[in-house]
This record gives sequence, C-alpha cells and structure tokens, in this order.
Amino acid sequence: MITVHTEFHSHFRELAATDKDSFDLDQPLVSELAERIGAKYGPKMQAMLIDPETHELNERGTMFVDTKGRRISMEDTLDDGETITFLVGIAGG
Amino acid sequence: MESRLLRVDLTTGECNSEVIPHSVFERWIGGSGINNWIMWEHFLTHDVNCDPRGPDNIFVFGVGPLAGTGAGSGIKGRITFKSPCYNMFGDSAGGGKFPYMVRFSGFEYIAITGKAPKPCYLHISNQEVSILDAAHLWGKNTAETHALLQEEHGTYPSKTHTLTVSQAGENGVGIAGVVSDALRIHARCGGGAVMGSKNLKAIAVQGSGGLPVTRPKDMLAWSDDFRKKIDSNEAVYGFKRRGTLGAVEMYQHIGSHFWRNNQGNMFRGDEIRSDNWVKKYHKYSEVCSSDCFIACDAKYKIDGTESEAAQKYVGETFRRPEYLTTGSAAGALDVRDWAEVAHWGKLTNDYGIDNQDLSCSISFLMELKQRDLISDRDVAELFGHEQSLEWGNMEDIEACVEDVVFQRNAFGVMFRDGPYHGALKYSAMMGKNFMKYAMYGKGGASFTEEMRPFPTWMNNMAVASRGADHLKGIGLIEKFQRKDLSKIYFDGRIEAADLSTTELKGACTAVVENQVALLNSYGVCMFHWMLDPAGYTPQDYYGKAYGAVTGIDRTPKELMHDGERICNLEKAFNSRVGMRREHDTVCERWMWEPTEEGIYPGKVAADMFETVLSDYYEWRGWDKASGLQTRAKLTELGLDDVADVLEADGALA
Repeated sequence: MITVHTEFHSHFRELAATDKDSFDLDQPLVSELAERIGAKYGPKMQAMLIDPETHELNERGTMFVDTKGRRISMEDTLDDGETITFLVGIAGG
Repeated sequence: MESRLLRVDLTTGECNSEVIPHSVFERWIGGSGINNWIMWEHFLTHDVNCDPRGPDNIFVFGVGPLAGTGAGSGIKGRITFKSPCYNMFGDSAGGGKFPYMVRFSGFEYIAITGKAPKPCYLHISNQEVSILDAAHLWGKNTAETHALLQEEHGTYPSKTHTLTVSQAGENGVGIAGVVSDALRIHARCGGGAVMGSKNLKAIAVQGSGGLPVTRPKDMLAWSDDFRKKIDSNEAVYGFKRRGTLGAVEMYQHIGSHFWRNNQGNMFRGDEIRSDNWVKKYHKYSEVCSSDCFIACDAKYKIDGTESEAAQKYVGETFRRPEYLTTGSAAGALDVRDWAEVAHWGKLTNDYGIDNQDLSCSISFLMELKQRDLISDRDVAELFGHEQSLEWGNMEDIEACVEDVVFQRNAFGVMFRDGPYHGALKYSAMMGKNFMKYAMYGKGGASFTEEMRPFPTWMNNMAVASRGADHLKGIGLIEKFQRKDLSKIYFDGRIEAADLSTTELKGACTAVVENQVALLNSYGVCMFHWMLDPAGYTPQDYYGKAYGAVTGIDRTPKELMHDGERICNLEKAFNSRVGMRREHDTVCERWMWEPTEEGIYPGKVAADMFETVLSDYYEWRGWDKASGLQTRAKLTELGLDDVADVLEADGALA
C-alpha cells in the first residue's frame, strides 16, 4: 500500500470542497487514484477526471501533473508519498 | 450566400456597397481570410511601405460566415491594417455584439481608406451609410463616446452598437486599440492609431436584417450536437465560473506567469496566487455575445470591501479581468491587490490601449530603476513629473498610462509604439544599450506569460505575422502536454507534447497556425476549440457548420489548405515590407537568461530556437536561409499571383 497526496486547484477545488487530500492505494496506479477520487467526490468530479468515451484521463480543459511537471496518464505508476496536482488547462484571454 | 463589402473613402466621402464575387471565397473562406485579401489588393495599388498613420493605409473590419448564425461559438469581429506600432501586418480580434450587428445591418466587411478633413464617425443603419461630424466626440474616451452614440442614435431599427477609439487613437499612439461597445478591445497592433489618423472616431451600427443560412436544417442539427458536446464537458462549467482566470493557479504551479518584466514567473502576494478572489467579483450578466454556448465573461462591481485598495474604486463596474489583463498587472507590474488589477483592465479599456504593450513598456523602465541603471534625475527628465517607477505602485502606473494616451511627456512619446521601439529610442537617448531588458518577439510586445520552457510557443513569438503573439499559434499541445492531440495531428507521434525535444515543434507551430487561421476565418471564439481541440477541429467539425451556412462544402484537407493559404498571405505582406529570417527572433532575456522559478527551471530559448525555427520553415515549404516563401509552395496553394508580386518586389526565395 502507498499513500499519494493530491492538490486540487480552481474548479477541482470547488468540486472537492478542499484544496488537499491523501489517498491510501492498494496498487500504485494512476487508474486507482482516479477511481478513488471520483468515488469520493461524486459524478461531477468523475466527469472532470475520466473521459467517458475512452476511459482515459480526461484531457479536455484539464492538466494533471506530478511533482516534475509531467502530465500523468492512466497507465502511469505512482511513488509512495508522491503529490499529484489537479489543474484546469486554459490559457490566454 | 451573398457577402457585402462597404467601401468608404474618407478623403472624398464616397461610400460604395459591393457584393464580394463568389470566386474570392474559393480562395479566402471568410473573416480574416477576406480581410487579408482586401488589404493585399489595396496595397497592389498603394505603396506598401507607406506611413501606417497616413491616408494610404487601409482599415478593414470583417466578420466570418458563422458569426451571428446561432453556431454557438461566440462571435469575433476582426480589424486588419498595416500596423503603425510594428510597421508590418496588423490585425486584432474582438467579440461582443458589435460584429453581429454589422451583419444585421447588411454588411460583412467594411474597408476604410483615405483621411477625413475633420473628425467624423461612420453611421450604418440597414445599409444606409452616413459620414457624420464627430466634433462633440473628439477628446472623449471609449466609454464616453459609446454612451453618446447610443443616446444619439437610440434603439431603432435596433440598439446602437459601436466601435470607438479614445484620445490615444486620436493622438496617433501606435499601441492604441479599438473598443467594441465600450467593453471589448481589439488591442493588438494599433488599429486605434489607424482610425485616429484617418480622423475616424467611431463606427456606429444598427441593423434589423436577418442572416442567410444555405442549409438551415443542417445548421440546426450541427448546433444541437455542439450544444450537447459542450454540456457534457464538465470543464466548461469550471471555465464559465472563472473564465480565463482559471489559468492563474495553473500558471502559478508550473511557473508560467510574467513577474516583474519576466524576471520571475510566479505571482507574489498571498491572495493573487489563488483564484478564490474571483468569487468576490463574479456576477453573471449579459456581457457575452448572445451566440455563445459557454459565456465565460462576467461583470464586477466594487463595493469597497473586497480588498485594501477597493475603497479607491467603490462603485466601479466593468468586465471581470481576463488572464492577460491580470498577467500584465499582477505579473509584469507586480500589482498585488485585485481591485487594482480589475481597475487596470477598465482603465486600459476606457483609454483603448493595449495593456500588453503598455505593461511591458512600464515594467522595462521599472526594471532599469530597480537595477539602478537609471537615476532619479533620469526618471525626472523622462517624465517631467513625480514618478517613482516602483513595482506595484498603481497611482504611478496610472500616471504612466495617461502619459502615453495624452502624449504628454518624453516617456509617452518614446513608448507610443510599445517596448521594443521605446527601448531602442531610450537606449539611443541615454547612450547605453538597455535592450537586454526589453521584452518582445519580432518587434512586438511580449504577451505577459513565461515562454522559455515551451519551444513551440517560443517559436510562435518569433514567427507570428503580427509580432509576439499567443493568438496565431497557441502552443497548448506542449504547454498542456496533450499527447492525444499530438497523436491526432502527427500520425500517432507524441513528440509535439514533449517539452524536452525539438521534434515536431516547428511542425506544431505551422499546423496550429493553420487551424487558428480557419477559426479566425469562420468568425468564432477560440475558447470552445481550446476546451476540446480534438472534438471541435476547425477543419472537420467546424467545417461542417461552414458548409451548412455557406453551401460551400470543403474536405478537411481542403480547409487546412485554406488555413495555410491565409497564413501565407500574411507572411507575404510582411515579406513585402522587408521582413526576413533575422526578424523572426525573440528578446535577449528569453533567448539567453535561464528561468529560475517554477517546475521547469534553467530553460532558455536558445537551447532549441534555431532548430525549431528551421523546422518550421521546412514544414511551411519556405526557404530556411532567408525565411522567404518559395514559388513552389505558393503555386501549390493557388497563389501564383502572390508569388508574382513578391518576385517583383525581390521578396521571393
């Protein structure tokens, strides 16, 4: 089992009603983290996280990155103590 | 579908309406494409090297075929002209209700030439055109001018919508923009100076006509499908809530702000790092085009309790600031109070002036002062009044804005064309080289975001047809690391989304430029596409709407060629005025000075710049050594006539 920390920004923070959380995962997989977050915070969060057609992480208007700034994918593995940041992907104006 | 062009010669007072021949649409599909073609043709009979502030320049306003049709993608109007601040191709988009009112009045394009003998404005009401005296409007800002015109022309046959310039445009300030309905600025490239130099204060439009749609059933079906797609995208709700300010926290996390003239890339100040403040100002209201399924805009009204500085602005109401308004104030100028940031947005809009150029000009001088490269005496001589040049000092920043708008001192005159030309002039005056601290690309003001970790976007800053630009290329594939998009665009390859390699970066610049040219030609807002570039592809998804409205059915491949053709015409214009590979470059800080903050430290443009630029030319089919277009590429795009002009000018490879 590993513990992964999450940081929620902008719309994610509103959906989670918190800016930080931690999850104990049986498998060190992004897919498990996404499933746990979706289950905990409900269908709107689920819709932000998972693309309903591809069942991959939703890339539309979102950005999920590890501590090195790399966008994570469903098949990626996670390290114990790692922090994943959930951001909205928008620019300009 | 018939498209009507209104030609106005302000020197003679002649106004003529003409139908644009169908053959023109075979090459230029609408919107920016037609605007560009009108300008190109104009400069076949007028000196392309003319003074942009002189009567030989042309000012074109146009809307694309999807604008106002219920396509649900918002509406963008576009102005096109030779830029007075950068002396090359210039254009700028703006949204709101003015563009579709132009269509309702019976026109899609307005081309204005010459110079009126005295201040005037253009009034259009259902194809009736008048050139009217503007003596009572001269000297007013954009909000005042708009209010007076609305009062004057009333609400029949429709409410009056306006395009206005402020005192900055009247005074020939090169970075003066044009403001739609006192709310939305066409900021870039100095369209306000072009209007002002023609003694044209405003365009007021009223219309009650309908819009032709060739296949209405197809259009309604497309629109219905688009609505469903938008409604099923949860990210849209987040975007509605915050607009582009949703970028604040992402940029803070990755280090993509433009702090203190880009000496850093993170905002300082506890409150502005977060977008929680947005709730204080957020009030839904009808400031968006009625043809937008997202409607990301909102108004604020300051009640004085929001922050320490809010007391200064009690009762002030305006549009919620966009990200780049925030980036220029909270970033470039280090303003840390949100009421002041919001006020900066209103101030620059009312004065109709580009806040990117302005903030980069002021922050350039603030940095010189911070580094003791200029003395208090130097500052006093430049400004002629008390001026601290302290970071974040809003009162002194406001004074700088008025110095430029009213051209009231050496600073205002020297920086009227933005940071690049201002820095050159100031360096010459002081006998020192300060260019290291000027932020620009291709002579145009940087837009206020960190660029150094992002090779595609850096390339955009160098090659964009109107100077450093985030709206011609948009490097979101790499910034958001969208491997899914990279795979779609490049046959399964993912390198376009990989920040660590030069692979596909030049190609990505070109492909996205072509796509954006299509969006700009349709006359739609880019944000829908940005929220799902895989789903709302300009050449495929939007192409179906284009076909339904115009009856012109194009394959995705043909439409991508249309986009490429538009980019090539902009390039050709710049080649005619002498721009070559050496002009496709960026400022010294971006090129050589490493980033120190954010999650991508130690990045400089120089690491990848030349490779990406050469790849871009190769992907474009242009000559790598000179940067010029080749006849072979122009022939492939059906632009032999353009190649002939370039050859005659010695501007063809």
